[in-house]
Amino acid sequence: MENVNDLKPSDIGRAGGQVTKLDKVMDLPAPYDKPGMEPDFKEVKPAWQEKYCTTLDGFVGVDTLQRPKTKEEEDEFVRKFLSGLEKIFTDANNGALQPLSLTFDYCAKCNTCSEACHIYEASGHNELYRPIFRSEVLRKIYKKYFTKSGKLLGGFVGADIDVNWETIARLGELAYRCNLCRRCAQTCPLGLDNSIIAKEIRKIFSQELEIAPTPLHNKGTVLQLKTGSSTGINKAAFLDNIEFMEEDIEEQTGLKIKVPVDKKGADILLIHNAGEFVSWPENPAAFAILFERAGLNWTLSSSLVGYDSVNYGIWYDDTQAKKIVQAQQRAALELGVRRIVIGECGHAHKAAAVVGDRMVYGEDKVPVESFLPILWDAVQKGAFKFDPSRNDFPVTLHDPCNLVRGMGVVEPQRNILKIIAPKFREMTPHGVYNYCCGGGSGFAIMNSLNFLDFRNKVSSRMKFKQILDAFADTVADPSIVKYVCAPCSNCKGAIRDMFEYYEATAKFNIHYGGLVDLMVNALADLPRPFLTFDE
Amino acid sequence: MFLTLYSLLAIILFLAFSAYKAAEYAKMPIHGRLDLYPIPKEGGRLEYGGSYYEELEWWRKPRHVSHGAEIIDMLKEMLFIKKLFDNQRPFWWLSYAFHLGIYCLMGWTVLLAVLAVAGLNGVAVMGAGAGIVLVLKILLGIAGVAGFLLAVFGSGTLLIKRMADSSLRRYTTPQEYFNLLLIFLVLCTGIYAWSLAPSFDRPLGVMEQALSLQPLVLSGVGVLHVILLGIMFFYIPLSKMSHYVGKYFTFHKVLWDNSPNTPGSAIGKDVEKAAGYRPHTSWSAPHIKGNGATPGKTN
Repeated sequence: MENVNDLKPSDIGRAGGQVTKLDKVMDLPAPYDKPGMEPDFKEVKPAWQEKYCTTLDGFVGVDTLQRPKTKEEEDEFVRKFLSGLEKIFTDANNGALQPLSLTFDYCAKCNTCSEACHIYEASGHNELYRPIFRSEVLRKIYKKYFTKSGKLLGGFVGADIDVNWETIARLGELAYRCNLCRRCAQTCPLGLDNSIIAKEIRKIFSQELEIAPTPLHNKGTVLQLKTGSSTGINKAAFLDNIEFMEEDIEEQTGLKIKVPVDKKGADILLIHNAGEFVSWPENPAAFAILFERAGLNWTLSSSLVGYDSVNYGIWYDDTQAKKIVQAQQRAALELGVRRIVIGECGHAHKAAAVVGDRMVYGEDKVPVESFLPILWDAVQKGAFKFDPSRNDFPVTLHDPCNLVRGMGVVEPQRNILKIIAPKFREMTPHGVYNYCCGGGSGFAIMNSLNFLDFRNKVSSRMKFKQILDAFADTVADPSIVKYVCAPCSNCKGAIRDMFEYYEATAKFNIHYGGLVDLMVNALADLPRPFLTFDE
Repeated sequence: MFLTLYSLLAIILFLAFSAYKAAEYAKMPIHGRLDLYPIPKEGGRLEYGGSYYEELEWWRKPRHVSHGAEIIDMLKEMLFIKKLFDNQRPFWWLSYAFHLGIYCLMGWTVLLAVLAVAGLNGVAVMGAGAGIVLVLKILLGIAGVAGFLLAVFGSGTLLIKRMADSSLRRYTTPQEYFNLLLIFLVLCTGIYAWSLAPSFDRPLGVMEQALSLQPLVLSGVGVLHVILLGIMFFYIPLSKMSHYVGKYFTFHKVLWDNSPNTPGSAIGKDVEKAAGYRPHTSWSAPHIKGNGATPGKTN
């Protein structure tokens, strides 16, 4: 195995063994600075080695990337990969051609981006996770097979990686060692974006080879387009969920709320990440309470995809992303609403408002808005009577990458927190420069084999460090509740798993939740706290 | 005479290839949005990275685009390489010396051309000069000396750093060493040729010869310098050293392009046109066709 400090891009094509192994990861601050405070990495099982690609770093993120059984299968795999690689520079990929070409052509390899990457930092500067590593691998392969300079000059221009199943599979895995958070692109002097390359590799695998992690594809976009939601919740189950939610609201707050569903001509179609109904039903319940209090004319939709804002396609497959955007627009058009409002889900914001912005067009296009300016407007208009002392515990704010760095919604959530949370403090860094939760680009739902280890110990590590730093004054005191406000379902999923892995809630009373939950908790007239901080 | 035509052709091709490359990027189809905040044209929100999406019903409000803030940010990046300064200071000293040297040499070339044209039209430009000529020759001296020294220092130290620093070396191809080496050699031969007759009138005379299509009178090393310079001019636009072209597109057309696709907007028309295009190539995975709910490969 290559020493992590000696690793170079061409080593991805090296025969035999694992390219690298993670051993020394970034130190965590107190109280996690002592031995035994976190589990060790698990060893790779021999059965996994036989079936999957474990030869990159020992983790398996892409469970559908399985070893070929025959030489013919391997040849077909290689042929299809090269075909897909060629296509990303053709009109089949028009929607990404210019940004891809620029990043592909111009990297000066100054490594300015490296320290911006939370995965590279958390890995203890393992070379494999340097943002340009995978980009350079792809450049080398493309040059080798598709450029005249590569064919004529070979290694002189860097065309020095031959492909076989192992090499391509490693690259496929490596595409899922990036959260696509784009923090590295903020630092590039040439304005280049390595996440584009990572996503294009994912696209080659999905759009040409039909290979993508099961939670993103088969149990993600495919299931969503088939049943209406990536959770598998169909229309009937969704309607049941709403009934249960109404009962829960009444039981917990005494408020009788009839949640509007399929209300024709409503002003707002509110779309939640359907995962909220399953994992955090208090979140859509809090939305219902706040929207009713604010007097908004709103509705949920029970149409296919109309009740699930997620769009995993934006992480790995443009064609799936477009189908979901179109389905959400159809749901809005059917109801005749004036606007689509996205609830607490960062990637859904970006998918519907930013990526989807150029996937549909015309007079019928329904504008997409974040829930945040709506709630901030209602707060300013005095729609809610808050008692901030109900949130008298330390609160910090996580900035979902897609909502903040990728969409520029930065201030409304802070303005609200400053009113409802007297002990609010920022993370360092914060706002558009905040770090990813480690669950971005699908990691939050990818849990096959040992991938959770990679997420919890590596990709989420910087976020955990930030949280510990933000609560440094109280973190060691388990009698004090500490709350990480994460207005995003995927981020919450990653933080939930992170807290469980590090036993942060059990040992140090650190909790997480949404913004609306915290707002409802501060409502002065509710008979009892909306948030309960039980284990 | 060959060298005269060769050097003029090199400059013409440099400009032509650069323009061609810019045109190639410019005519690429409209792409999906990749906004990355902070975006300078958001004006007052630039400081914290906000956007129009923070406004209630943003599509109903007039959009305020601050071209001034965009130009200021662009100039900071072009003139000072601000992102490198902010994020990798040790590297910036070398890279900035190199780029500032190139800017000075561009200014030096323009001043040489201006003075040469003046000289060819009867203005006394040789010797110390007087009045505006004196001012231009002082500027010429500063630009030339600073340009050569900074650029040769920058290119030389960048080359050494790239060879010595293992984190850079492992990503650097032989071609990329060649790129820096070529520039370094062009600068060294230029400095050496100039040092044989250290006068500002010497390069001015060569420029006059070139612009009047006269044979260039050069020393042996001067001939080598012009040949290498020509190769560099041919080569730069064909290599990734043409990032002066790409940088405009990466910022303005990718990271800072957050213009919304509202009905009737120019973007809306571009999106509609792009939607009507039928590509010649297509993806092969089974789920691409149909409604996307076709199951893919399963465990």
